[in-house]
Amino acid sequence: MLHMINRSPLGCPSLESALRVAANGAPLLLLEDGVYAARPGTRAEGLVKTALAAHPVYALEPDLKARGIERVIEGIRVIGYDGFVELVEQHNPVPWL
Amino acid sequence: MSTKIVMLMRKPPYATVYPAEGFRAMMGMAVFEVPLCVVFLDDGVYTLAKGQDPTGIDMKPLSAGFAALPDSGVTEFYVHDQSLAERGLVPDDLVMPVTVASAAEIEKVLAGATAVLPF
Repeated sequence: MLHMINRSPLGCPSLESALRVAANGAPLLLLEDGVYAARPGTRAEGLVKTALAAHPVYALEPDLKARGIERVIEGIRVIGYDGFVELVEQHNPVPWL
Repeated sequence: MSTKIVMLMRKPPYATVYPAEGFRAMMGMAVFEVPLCVVFLDDGVYTLAKGQDPTGIDMKPLSAGFAALPDSGVTEFYVHDQSLAERGLVPDDLVMPVTVASAAEIEKVLAGATAVLPF
């Protein structure tokens, strides 16, 4: 399953909820406001590093650029819309609204 | 007591319509010279982050609109210090000069308002 997180980690517990449920190794995709989790130096950085230890974590580049996020936490894979489509083709998506 | 509207901005830009609608309301009030000030709290501080380029999601940079508000007579901007710090941001990361304020200082701004409009 592909866990899709589209809410900011400091405004909404979506990422925490997803991590409680997600099986080890299941990919996480940060998109829309979810990409704020990718930004280094936020209060959510520890949570994201925990996620990276057990899951591949992807962040959608157009959403990063829109929000002025130029650097991401090490280990997060930045992808475009083509990569997004590939992930959805390979895994059943689970949105965490 | 003279009229003072406080715009309380707590949402990040783009994903919802709140920040853009707040901006629209501010422009409207500025035209009629309604005294107002703007408070950025929680994820609302992201609205002012430098480097926003939303062309890839077919939007206009909201930060540029806010940075131009002083030209319309809106000049009071408060940003919550802890909201910035929790997001790894410093005042230099913002597109415009603002007053960085503690929660207690923001409480005073809210207490002095005729009305608080949340966005």
